[in-house]
Amino acid sequence: MRTLEFRTVTKVDEALESLSQLGDEAQVLAGGTDVMIQYQRGELHPATLLHIEGVEELQRLEQDGSVTLGALVTHRRVSRTLADRLPALSEACATVGGWQTQEVGTVAGNVCNASPAADTIPPLLIAGAVVDLASGGGTRSIPLEQFVLGRRKTARAPDELVTAIRVEPLPPGAGEVYLKVAPRSAMEVALVGLAVRLQLDQDRVVTDARIATCSVAPVPFRVRGAEEVLVGSRLETDAVAEAADLLRAAADPIDDVRATAAYRLKVLGPLLERAATIVGERAGGATRWS
Amino acid sequence: MELTFTVNGRTVNVDVPGGTTLLDVLRGSLQLTGTKEGCVEGECGACTVLVDGRPVDSCLYAAHAAEGRAITTIEGISTDGELSALQRALVDTGGVQCGFCTPGFVITLTALLEENPTPIEDEVRAAIVGNICRCTGYTQIIDAVMETVEGGR
Repeated sequence: MRTLEFRTVTKVDEALESLSQLGDEAQVLAGGTDVMIQYQRGELHPATLLHIEGVEELQRLEQDGSVTLGALVTHRRVSRTLADRLPALSEACATVGGWQTQEVGTVAGNVCNASPAADTIPPLLIAGAVVDLASGGGTRSIPLEQFVLGRRKTARAPDELVTAIRVEPLPPGAGEVYLKVAPRSAMEVALVGLAVRLQLDQDRVVTDARIATCSVAPVPFRVRGAEEVLVGSRLETDAVAEAADLLRAAADPIDDVRATAAYRLKVLGPLLERAATIVGERAGGATRWS
Repeated sequence: MELTFTVNGRTVNVDVPGGTTLLDVLRGSLQLTGTKEGCVEGECGACTVLVDGRPVDSCLYAAHAAEGRAITTIEGISTDGELSALQRALVDTGGVQCGFCTPGFVITLTALLEENPTPIEDEVRAAIVGNICRCTGYTQIIDAVMETVEGGR
């Protein structure tokens, strides 16, 4: 086995210089909760581990109109600080492993790892996430939907660094939730994950619907057909059932060690019904307490 | 590749290959074998140590990522041979049985009590989801924390 170089950088510019020099010979390392497992299993063979955990610029968590999650924002920081503005993402972050994983594991890392079961991706998708990338040649931003291309595959070029993920926080009057099906309530990889954000008007009519799911296809995805069915509805049983049919039709699950494809399809419908009920209760929070 | 950090207040310098885990440096190079190796994939928490006060699975943490940082292991929890209040409570309640998970639990729960000296039971349960115990059924461990909290009031 060749000798692995461990290179620590403390500035974005230094990281970009290393990436332009090393390209795909470098593996970016933040908290290491995915990378170190894969490295020890022999699934990754980098020449250099590029350690970015000490880059101050990537720690930023900005909340103005949108919310900017610097690439080093951890799961714990999100679940501790964004429960009001991004409830579904906070809920997802609170289920990624235990405290030890959430303490150093990052949202950007969860996205870049591009697991079909990535808990943070459905809530980011319903929040219209955009991924900011930088390289020696400049910067670019791409919607998260176009960033994750397949299992463990993203649109990041070898010389690029993800610097931030920007999302639209929950608008006033909207509600959202992330639900995860798993045998236990903690320390589980999602058998199915579902994030739903709904905006309701004063008459409780859905004016905007966003639905995204994970663990039912190679890539987590938005389910636009199901979203369209809910818009204009009052979440009547028939409308939710029709949306659930479209959700099942859009899914392409596999059998694996955790669950069968048939099981995943079976739970999707009830999961959407449960999500619709919860979000229906959460949305219009201003009037809920009156 | 050389590496310098502090362990339980003592500055140490080791020379290990890049990609070595913090756990291997602690148990191998430094012979601090109180920290246990369990699953090596972030599931069991037996290898939990504090990195600048934050609980981390040392089996998944690169040793060189600890450069310049302060590491606390189970060996650094008692003072002058005196168990901490939490450790004493774990003994008293039967929260220690085979003992393999105990160092990880002590570290995680020490971090919890540092952050929140008066947790409620649900907060204790949430803090230890990343630590597995196959003997106690957790009840005695949670009892020990609540006893420590009561004793500290």
